[in-house]
Amino acid sequence: MEDKLIVAAAPHLHARESTARIMWSVSLALLPAGAAGVYFFGYAALAVIIVSIAVAMVSEWLLQKLTRRQTALSDGSAFLTGLLLAYNLPPGVPLWIPAIGAFFAIAVGKQIFGGLGQNIFNPALAARAFLMASWPAYMTSFRTPGFDAVTSATPLSALKEGHLQQVYSYLDLFLGNKAGCIGEVCVAGLLAGAVFLLLRGYITWHIPAAYLLTAGIMHYIFGPSGMFSGDWLFYLLSGGLVLGAFYMATDYVTSPLTVKGQLIYGVGCGLLTVVIRLWGGYPEGTCYAILMMNAAAPLIDRYTRRRIYGTGKV
Amino acid sequence: MIKLSAEFLKGIIKQNPIFVLALGLCPVLAVSTSVSNALGMGAAATFVLVGSNGIISLIKNVVPDKIRIPCFIIVIATFVTIAELVMKAYSPALNKALGIYVPLIVVNCVVLGRAEAFASRRPLLDSLVDGLGMGAGFTLGLILISSIREISGSGKLLGYPLLPGFQPALMIALPPGALLVIGVMLGFFNLLKRRKE
Amino acid sequence: MNIGQFLAIFISSVFVSNVILSRFLGLCSFIAISKETRPALAMSSAVFFVITMSSAITWVIYRYLLIPFNLAYLRTISFILVIAAFVQLVEMIIRKFMPALYRVFGIYLPLITVNCAVLGVAVLNADMFFSKGSPLPGSFLFSIFQGVCVGIGYTLAMLLMSAIRERLEYSRVPEAVREFPLAFVTASLMSLSFMGFNGFKF
Repeated sequence: MEDKLIVAAAPHLHARESTARIMWSVSLALLPAGAAGVYFFGYAALAVIIVSIAVAMVSEWLLQKLTRRQTALSDGSAFLTGLLLAYNLPPGVPLWIPAIGAFFAIAVGKQIFGGLGQNIFNPALAARAFLMASWPAYMTSFRTPGFDAVTSATPLSALKEGHLQQVYSYLDLFLGNKAGCIGEVCVAGLLAGAVFLLLRGYITWHIPAAYLLTAGIMHYIFGPSGMFSGDWLFYLLSGGLVLGAFYMATDYVTSPLTVKGQLIYGVGCGLLTVVIRLWGGYPEGTCYAILMMNAAAPLIDRYTRRRIYGTGKV
Repeated sequence: MIKLSAEFLKGIIKQNPIFVLALGLCPVLAVSTSVSNALGMGAAATFVLVGSNGIISLIKNVVPDKIRIPCFIIVIATFVTIAELVMKAYSPALNKALGIYVPLIVVNCVVLGRAEAFASRRPLLDSLVDGLGMGAGFTLGLILISSIREISGSGKLLGYPLLPGFQPALMIALPPGALLVIGVMLGFFNLLKRRKE
Repeated sequence: MNIGQFLAIFISSVFVSNVILSRFLGLCSFIAISKETRPALAMSSAVFFVITMSSAITWVIYRYLLIPFNLAYLRTISFILVIAAFVQLVEMIIRKFMPALYRVFGIYLPLITVNCAVLGVAVLNADMFFSKGSPLPGSFLFSIFQGVCVGIGYTLAMLLMSAIRERLEYSRVPEAVREFPLAFVTASLMSLSFMGFNGFKF
C-alpha cells in the first residue's frame, strides 16, 4: 500500500519519454546522414566521428567524477554532443582536432554551466566555433567525395569567392555529392531523420519552419544578381543549414520555451545566417547564427513569459 | 621596515588587484596577447600608481573633500600623460601595440581605487610602497595571463617560437580567448582558496 | 561619406569589435551590474546617453581647442576632465528636474566617469577620424555615430548577459566557478559567436 502514496509536487505527469530516450533517438535519427558522410568521404570521416564521440564520453565521465556528481553516460547526451561535433567537421581534419573540440564541448560548453540541461550554448556548436577560430586552416580544407581525396571548396565558399566552377545539380546537393562537413552534406539523410523525430514528437516544427522559411525568403529577395532573383533552393540545400535547423536549433536546453519565443528564435537564426552568408567574411553563418540566438534565448524567454494567473505584469 | 614589506607583499598575493580585487581588468584582457606588451603596460601602470599615490598622499590634507575625486583624476591623468609621452618617444612600437589602453590607465579602477582607499588616508612612504606593491602584483598577474595566452595562442614566448610543429590555438590570442583564460584562471584560484579553507 | 561607411561602423561597434566583448571597455561595470535585467537596462541607458554626448563634446574640444593650440598631447587630461564635468552636470540636472529619471539611473551616473568605455570611445574617435591633426571628411558625424553604436553594443551585451545570468541563478553550477568565472566564460562564448560578423562588407 505504501508505494501507492506518491509524496511529490504536482504535476504528476508520467511520460514515457525520458532524457535518455530522447537523446538516443536523436542520435538514431542522425545515423543516415553520418552513414552517407562515411560513404562519401571514407574511413577518415569514420575516424573523426569515433574520436569525437569517444573523447566526449571520456571527458563527461572525468568531469562528472571531478565535480562529484553522478556519472550518467548512459543518458546519451555526451554521445550526441560528440556525434554532432563530428558532423560539423571537415572529413580530412587531423584527429587531434575532434579530440580537443570534444573536450571543449563537454568541459566549456556543458559541464562548467552545471551539466545537462543548464548550458546556455549548444556545446557542439561552441566547440566548432572554437575550433574554427583556433585552427582556421584545418577547419576550412574540404575535399570532394570519392576515393581520390581532391581538395575542393564547398559550394558556398566557392560561390563567395566568385569561382563556382562546378555546376551542382539540385540532386547532387540533396544527396550529398559535394564537398562539405561530414554530417551536413546528405540533406536527404538529414530530412529522413528529421521526419522521424517530428513524427515521434521529439522536436516540433516551429523552429525549423521559422528558420528555413526566413532563410529561404531572405535568399530569394537578396539574390546576387539583383533583388528577387535569388536561387533559394541552392542555398537551402547547401552548407549546414538543414543540419542546424533540425538538429541544433531545436535543442530544448538552448532554445526558448514558448511557441512565440521559438518562432522569434527561428526567424532570428534565419536572418543572421543569411546576413553572414551574403555579406559577412565567412561563407557559412549557421554556426554563429545559432550561437548568437542561444545567447538571446534567455532574453526571449524573459519577454515572452506566460502570465501566471493572478499576477501583474512582469 | 617589516610593516613596509608587508604593505608591499600584500599587493602581490593577498590583495592582488587582478585575481583578488578583480579591478582594472579592461587593459589586462586587451594587452595580454604577448608578454612584452604585458611588461610595457605593467611598467606604465606601476609608474602611474607610485607617482599618483605619492602626490595624492602629499596633498590629501589640502584637498577639499567635495572635489577630491576630480583632483585625484587630474593628478593621475598627469602621470598617465607623462607615461604616454615617454612611451611615444622611446618605444613607439610598444605605444602602437598598447594603443588606446595607455590613456585608459587614467580610469583604471586599480589606480583610482588605491588613491581613494589608501593614499588619501595614509602617510607618504606607506602610499609609495603600496603603489609599488600593487603595481608589482598587477604586472605579475599580467605576465602570468599573457604567458599562457602567448604560448598557447601563438606558440611563442616574448616573440621567440617555442616547439616547432606546434599548432597554436589562435582563439586564445583573440578576445574570446582572453575572456576564457581569465574565467578559467579565476575559477582555478577560487578552487585553491576553497581548498585552503 | 556613404551608407556603407555608416554600416561598417555599426557592424564593427555592435558586433565585431563590440565595446565590451571585444575591446573590453566597461568590463568592470559589465561584470558587476549584469546580474539582473532591470539595473542592466538602467546602466545601459545612462552609458548610452553619456557616451553619445561626450563623443560630441570631446570632438569639438579636440578639433577647436587642442589641435589649433598644439595641445593634442593634453587630450587624455582634457577628455577625462570634460567627461567628469559633464557627468556631474547631468547628475545635478537630472536630480533637480527629473527625480523619476534619477531614481531609475541616477545612481549609476558617477560610476560612468570611470567607465573605460566613455574615455575609450573619445580617444578612439580622435585616433580614427583624424589624420595628422586634421579631421577627415564627415569626422564629426562619424564620431557621434560611433558613440551611438558603441552605446547600442554595450546595451546589447548587457541585456543578453543579464538574462543569461538570471537564468544561471537556477542552475547547480560548480562552486568554484560561481559568479565571476562563469560570467567570464559566458562572455567568452558570446564574444566567440559575435566573431561570426568578421569581415562584414556591404
